[in-house]
Amino acid sequence: MDVFEAIKNRRSVRKYKPELVPKDLVQKILEAAVRAPSASNIQPWNFIVIKDRKVLDMVRKISPGYFGDAPLAILVCSDKERAYKLGGELGRDYLTVADCALAVQNMLLAAYASGLGTCIVKSFSSTAIKHILEIPDGIEPELLVIVGYPDQSPKPPLRRPLQEIAYLNRYGEKYFEK
Amino acid sequence: MEKKKSNGDKYLFDLAIFLATSASGCVEEPHLYGPFRLIDALSRLIELPKYATCIKEDPFLTKMKSVIDEKKFLVVSDTEAFKAFLDSLVREFAKELKRRSLERRKRTG
Repeated sequence: MDVFEAIKNRRSVRKYKPELVPKDLVQKILEAAVRAPSASNIQPWNFIVIKDRKVLDMVRKISPGYFGDAPLAILVCSDKERAYKLGGELGRDYLTVADCALAVQNMLLAAYASGLGTCIVKSFSSTAIKHILEIPDGIEPELLVIVGYPDQSPKPPLRRPLQEIAYLNRYGEKYFEK
Repeated sequence: MEKKKSNGDKYLFDLAIFLATSASGCVEEPHLYGPFRLIDALSRLIELPKYATCIKEDPFLTKMKSVIDEKKFLVVSDTEAFKAFLDSLVREFAKELKRRSLERRKRTG
């Protein structure tokens, strides 16, 4: 699949079929994640693949932003200690978040190209998810990626037009003519 | 009956944890997520008669639930439409309140 096709057509899916996600596709998604760029090549991420129904159910219940009943979720965490050791305060406090987001975008595109739907969830209780998944101190849950076969085709939301947001050489100078 | 009660216990706990985690999340989340969580909680609350034998299903509320579930995600795609939806929902509730009040008055004379 052409990468631009995946970028354009990927949607946040909130309704899934019960069909399980094959192990090789989970691996493909994770391999796409770790190929994302990261600041100073710190690669601050860890991934918790959640497929046990009971664990998934607990995670869903402490995540108000988790919709649908997908058979899989992957929690992307950042290793704050590693980031601080290798990247200082900037690495720990800001770049880990950006790096994990880059990894997540790769995951979404790899999943879409494999026929899967995804949705990013940040609306979960960090305290509760750390307790449920036994996440140690120094590891921070950043984003939860819900994965499954889509049972809906959401319409694309409106995008801010490039004419309004792209500038040339200096802020305010329109890049695109109207 | 016993099954309904045990499901009811689960329903109550699930709703409670949804509200607790929503309250915690609302401290830092975008302000429109507050109304979004409330409306989502309302949708879940309308399911109560499925679990509590003493409460009858309310056709008006059931209809409102399907409207809520259809429109609630406007919060992430079109915030103005989301606000308009909340307003129209309240208008529907006001109309229903008035209708029920008039009906009660007719009955009691």
